[in-house]
Amino acid sequence: MRRLHSVEALAAMRADLIAARGSPLPTVVIPAGTCGQASGANDLIRAAKRELLGDGRKVRLRVTGCHGFCQMEPSILIEPSRTFYPRVAARDVPRIIEAAAAGGVVEELLFVDPQSGARIRRQDDVPFFRKQVRTIIARNERVDPLRIEDCIEAGGYAAFAAALGGGDPRAVIDEVKASGLRGRGGAGFPTGRKWELFAQRPASRGKILVCNADEGDPGAYMDRSVLEGNPQSIIEGMLIGAFATGASEGVVYVRMEYPVAIKHLKTALRDARELGLLGAHILGTSFSFDISLVKGAGAFVCGEETALLWSIEGKMGEPRQRPPFPIEKGIEDRPTAINNVETWANIPVIIERGGREFATTGTRNNAGTKIFSLVGKVKYTGLVEVPMGTTIGEIVYEIGGGPSGKAPIKAVQTGGPSGGCIPRDAFDLPVDYDSLSRAGSIMGSGGMIVMDETTCMVDMAKFFLMFTQDESCGKCTFCRIGTKRMLEILERITDGKGEESDIQLLQDLAYQIKNNTICGLGQTAPNPVLTTLKYFGDEYIAHIRDKKCPAHSCSALVTYSIDPNACKGCAMCIKACPADAITGEKKKAHEINTAVCVKCGKCLETCKFNAVIKN
Amino acid sequence: MNVRTVTELVATYGATRGGLIAMLEEIQHDHGYLPEDVLRQLAAATSRSLVDIYGIATFYKAFTLAPRGRHVITVCLGTACHVRGAPRIVGEFERLLAIKAGDTTADGEFTLETVNCLGACALGPIVVADGRYFSNVSTTEVADILARTRAGVDAADPGKTERDIPMCVRCPRCEHSLLDPSRALDGHPSIRLDSAFDGVRGWVRLSSLYGSRSTDAEYGAPEGVAAEYFCPHCHARLTGPPRCAECDAPLLRISVRGGGVFLRCSRSGCNERFLDVRGPGAPAEPPRGLPAESART
Repeated sequence: MRRLHSVEALAAMRADLIAARGSPLPTVVIPAGTCGQASGANDLIRAAKRELLGDGRKVRLRVTGCHGFCQMEPSILIEPSRTFYPRVAARDVPRIIEAAAAGGVVEELLFVDPQSGARIRRQDDVPFFRKQVRTIIARNERVDPLRIEDCIEAGGYAAFAAALGGGDPRAVIDEVKASGLRGRGGAGFPTGRKWELFAQRPASRGKILVCNADEGDPGAYMDRSVLEGNPQSIIEGMLIGAFATGASEGVVYVRMEYPVAIKHLKTALRDARELGLLGAHILGTSFSFDISLVKGAGAFVCGEETALLWSIEGKMGEPRQRPPFPIEKGIEDRPTAINNVETWANIPVIIERGGREFATTGTRNNAGTKIFSLVGKVKYTGLVEVPMGTTIGEIVYEIGGGPSGKAPIKAVQTGGPSGGCIPRDAFDLPVDYDSLSRAGSIMGSGGMIVMDETTCMVDMAKFFLMFTQDESCGKCTFCRIGTKRMLEILERITDGKGEESDIQLLQDLAYQIKNNTICGLGQTAPNPVLTTLKYFGDEYIAHIRDKKCPAHSCSALVTYSIDPNACKGCAMCIKACPADAITGEKKKAHEINTAVCVKCGKCLETCKFNAVIKN
Repeated sequence: MNVRTVTELVATYGATRGGLIAMLEEIQHDHGYLPEDVLRQLAAATSRSLVDIYGIATFYKAFTLAPRGRHVITVCLGTACHVRGAPRIVGEFERLLAIKAGDTTADGEFTLETVNCLGACALGPIVVADGRYFSNVSTTEVADILARTRAGVDAADPGKTERDIPMCVRCPRCEHSLLDPSRALDGHPSIRLDSAFDGVRGWVRLSSLYGSRSTDAEYGAPEGVAAEYFCPHCHARLTGPPRCAECDAPLLRISVRGGGVFLRCSRSGCNERFLDVRGPGAPAEPPRGLPAESART
């Protein structure tokens, strides 16, 4: 690969790549992020390669990161017609390719609209995609993340080249300020303001930029998707940031649970370095900057910025008091500015379009788009990118298609273990930093977990407490022991042993933990309990007073039985039962011995006639 | 397995930022856990107290102080997996393996672990068995996952699965066929190359079936050693950059009829390989890293 010695050389390389590609040919695009691979995308890739090698069809293949509609993976997108094939079987790949080569379409493999029953050809017309504004995610469709040529051909690094060529770091900071971009990691601090403060710090010992890719929030995975699908956009964002603020060094801290992201980023860094986009004298200028990759070792608290710094230094990731803030005293006491993956991915967009233009998307004080991971009990799960200010209802019903099962949706949980549950009645709430925090939750990194009537809210609160209790670093007593005590109380309640005074006790403990801990993990740990108490207090009362779980979820409070009228006596449940708790003759109604039943739920899963009932 | 000594690790990472975690990761990778004697050596070699090292080793979940089983099952307990019934999946694994999460079976076959989120939330509940992801898992599938893991999650008969691709390979320089019909591997003509490592020269045969790892060699390079490969006709060196993204060894690179390039890591023991096919008009450059797809052949 040739090294680029000037800003013009980058533009020339792009022009060459476009020219070399020549005539536009149909392209088979296969998303293969971690989610795609888990669903079988690798089999589709193999089938496509076999087909392309076999008879030299006039079709191209592009393997990319995640496109967002994870539920429908493995999927295939045909360009330029944008034909979308959901849940493709490997045996159907040859006819999809044949049709693509001929400019046609395999009608029966298209997405079926569940309401009208009509087949939809174009991806952009599928309801899941129609309402989205996919500024960041759509870029994943255009590039093979392991080929820097793809990225450059698609316009990658052009924004950085423009910033560098302009020669005015202050102008770059002004653009970012004008864009109104706020930190996508959750806290929502204005990025331009952070950069401005950071740029003023002395550079005598070197300044460091960090990309926080320790996406530990359970239920959120947009950062993984961006890192896997378009790692070059992160490098470009950091280059722009370094040029603007005078940083000489960058670190990307990726959690070890993301092996594909680590691999793709490693390759992207190496390619950028070979091309002269990282290292000394970038694009032949006096600007030098390089990025190293640090793997996390599995600790949620390391997503907290002061803990992250310790971890990068190879120490235990325990948070410390702020101030001093990292931009004053960070890695090795050097000024350090930390931004999240999605924030960095937005930077090239801002430079490309201009800060003012960027700010026209979204709402006042909440500019741009945000990626949410729409998961849980919703029909269409995946990554959803919408302008800030879109309502929860629009996301859950219009994009997500409503509930996944028969039970209606009850609530949405945002912000992970630091956030809260928002009830159905409040679904007209616009999702932006300010509205969510007014509702008692937070934006967080963008996890949006949908819960239906079968999800117990006390159990949810218990789940998050279990999480924070497990992940608490132990430095602050109230976080270490307080969360444990709260968890014990919640366990008592879900076991049917709760007392009325427990609710007050939970609230008191929550207050103490919030006020006596130094980092975000502890300060927000009680939020899931507080919001569920606020909006779903009746569920707590039902557990405590009536010893009942309204969602039939808490196993200590449910019993399984068989409806003798619905049971066909097929004996499937008898076979499935691990405890030999079910008896009955063939073709006669079976019975569950509740004294022996271990409440594993296998009979319910196995029964084809809906004869097993939870009470 | 190429186990690095503490001295080697300190030489590589001792001076780097965050070096201690990196060294512990390497030890965990080589041994499967952090053996006490190695940690003692590490403490001595880095002039740290054992307590400091123990503190880090127990702070981060990546590290274990006890040996793990031959197979590792990880059940995701992230929020999305939780609301879709992941706790019941853990319960079923615990029942069938007769251990609690975090433990290893007495015969050393299985370790059962839970993780707080793997980031494949749209497909929950997620189970990862020896690196292979299973999505939308129900309790009734648990026994099957265990059986498949025991048999080897990647076990498949070469040549019998649809995934394998027969390749017609040529030398990229002299364009001579590299297939040797007189000697078959997996029922297909083998790829015959000349090889050299540490001054030892000889022939090597690779399966021409993409998806198979079968090889045969006059002198097999020892585990961890990178060999050089040459065309037996024009003697062109076939190994060189780009380098393997996993282990940084040079890659073997040969042409495949129909417009493909076959890349394979030259280091014995590294399983990285990749068949690059993009269709007409694409730049001739192969990717400089091998995608994760290649790790699972």
